[in-house]
Amino acid sequence: MKELSMPYINRRLLLQGAVALGGASALGLRGAFAQEPAKPAEIIVRAWGGSWVDSLKAGVSDPFTKATGVAVRHDLTEDNEIQPKVWAAVAQKRVPPIHINWDTTTNATKSALRGVTEDLSDLPNLKNVTDLAKPVGLDGFPIVNTYGYVYVLAYRPAAFPDGAPKSWKDLLDPKYKGRVAFYNDGIGFHFPAQVAGGGKLEDIPANMQPAWDFIAKMKEQKPLLGEDPDFTTWFQNGEIDAACTISTNAREARKNGIDIKWVVPEEGCKFDTDGLWIPKGLPENELYWAKQYINFALTKEAQQVWLDGLGLPGVVPGLTPPADLIGDPSYPTTEEDFKHLIRISSKVQVENESEWFGKFKAIMQG
Amino acid sequence: MTSRTAYPLTWRIMDVLEGVAAAIWPRSMARATPYLMLAPAILLVGLLVLGLLQMADSSLRTLDTNTFLLSENYSLANYRRAVTEPLFAVVAWRSLLAAVIVTAVTLIFAFPYAYLMVRTRSSALRKILLIALFLPFFIGQVVRAYGWLIILGNQGMVNEALGLVGIPPMRLIYNYPAVLFGLVQYMLPFAVLMLAPALTAIPEELEAAAGSLGANWVRSFRHVVLPLCRPGFIGAGVVVMTLSLTDFAVPAILGGGSQDFIANAIYDQFFRTSDQGLGATLALMLVALGSIVVGLVFSLFGAGTLAVSRKRK
Repeated sequence: MKELSMPYINRRLLLQGAVALGGASALGLRGAFAQEPAKPAEIIVRAWGGSWVDSLKAGVSDPFTKATGVAVRHDLTEDNEIQPKVWAAVAQKRVPPIHINWDTTTNATKSALRGVTEDLSDLPNLKNVTDLAKPVGLDGFPIVNTYGYVYVLAYRPAAFPDGAPKSWKDLLDPKYKGRVAFYNDGIGFHFPAQVAGGGKLEDIPANMQPAWDFIAKMKEQKPLLGEDPDFTTWFQNGEIDAACTISTNAREARKNGIDIKWVVPEEGCKFDTDGLWIPKGLPENELYWAKQYINFALTKEAQQVWLDGLGLPGVVPGLTPPADLIGDPSYPTTEEDFKHLIRISSKVQVENESEWFGKFKAIMQG
Repeated sequence: MTSRTAYPLTWRIMDVLEGVAAAIWPRSMARATPYLMLAPAILLVGLLVLGLLQMADSSLRTLDTNTFLLSENYSLANYRRAVTEPLFAVVAWRSLLAAVIVTAVTLIFAFPYAYLMVRTRSSALRKILLIALFLPFFIGQVVRAYGWLIILGNQGMVNEALGLVGIPPMRLIYNYPAVLFGLVQYMLPFAVLMLAPALTAIPEELEAAAGSLGANWVRSFRHVVLPLCRPGFIGAGVVVMTLSLTDFAVPAILGGGSQDFIANAIYDQFFRTSDQGLGATLALMLVALGSIVVGLVFSLFGAGTLAVSRKRK
């Protein structure tokens, strides 16, 4: 385990650091550092809104503030929109607008490849995490994955009187015309479509024609295309009967009283991860506390509360699944569970994303 | 005391201010004063041009997906992609067609509204029409588009009303007509506001004279009102067309994700695929397309109420 790189500390920082030790002890960090630098008034964490940020607040941000006295502000700017702002700040050697970005691993990988992420390899709690925490195809830890999630096939049971859909092909039934929904860039659907179209996962990215053929068939169903909040709204307003969406959104809709279930069809579902990363260019003391935040997010206590809210499997062993998700295919815990899920490395996704998005859009907009 | 009364304080202040002004901008430079007035405009346009130049620079660089940086060398690869990939042709055609349809429909609806607003003798009716016109301005475009989702949605008011007469719910949103409808509703106040001054400038006596010479209402409308209102039509048409062509929110909200306009495609490149080069290329092409359309209208019909000439044609 590498030592956490310590910034230059003046006498004032040293005195303030001594006071900070009390808070650090609550994080299980006592003894890890001789001194701690000045605490910033707040750290800013970019997050997704709704139940996503509520879960982060309950599981990580509030306990972190309680333990350290460092306030946490959540910036709900969309992940795609904060990215160019952070990139521009780093390129212009300005202080970035956020301390921590809660991001999809694919998006975060772009930032890592661009060289705007701090190395997080020295976080003490990384020694307790599973392999899922390590970004695939990247050196070190420019990002720390914090949980996984599944793009399930969510459906209204009333619209499937013969039972749950078994295959993505079931959505091609004419009675679902205009009643199915996907993400507007096709994310989550490309890989299952490859299988449903008769192709092989090993052919990704070299030959994805089967996926495009299947998506073209699905286009005839006139699907709705949207973002996370749209799916919940559409289910709620009776606009759709089925959707390829992250299980968290489907679970949130169910919590809101909507009759909704989800399955992993026989072709499988895409499994992906989200993570936390820190942009370069922060003052040393703020970088230190941003790292402490991520380190805290990797504790079992923080993960348990945070991910109970999201209904997603974490990266720390021994977490207890929420009662409503025990044995649920969207909450994979065993090797058997993962056999039905499709995981493609972030690097492959990042390198081909633009082309895949373009092809999906060309089919759906045509 | 007497001299103070004869030469008030305000005058003294003005003298000082004039002295300061003369020191900064001597009288000998008076001929250049109009150009000084242009400074804010030059600054504004200059910043815009600077931004466009930077975008032009980006548009000539391609994205390296190994580093997510734009290339050092220049090429026309992004322009090649923009003109050869079918997606962009579809989106451009959809935007252009929508701009034409929305402009035509909006002008047809806006004209009688503006005419009634200008010509009515009832001040109460004029006030109601004005309030109805300005109220949407206080509600943003996004909120209005969401309003239509509530009204026209599967469980919206319209479908519920149809259900009362036994008609099953039908999909009224998330399609091209819904986008056009939303745009027309958004553009209507702009068009009315552009048409109203043109109609106000037409003396009512001209219509009365046409009537007294035997022209019925239709003929006086066709041969007097419409031709004289042409500057208003041109001004309103240009404004509505350019706003429709570049709209983002209405296609995004009412289109259900499958009715993208050029602005949505630009957003995707900047914020989804992180390809600023291609995004800049599409943005510049949109600016060029809009400029060509406006230039064409101006060259064929003049600048209408957007003209700044002192001569009244």
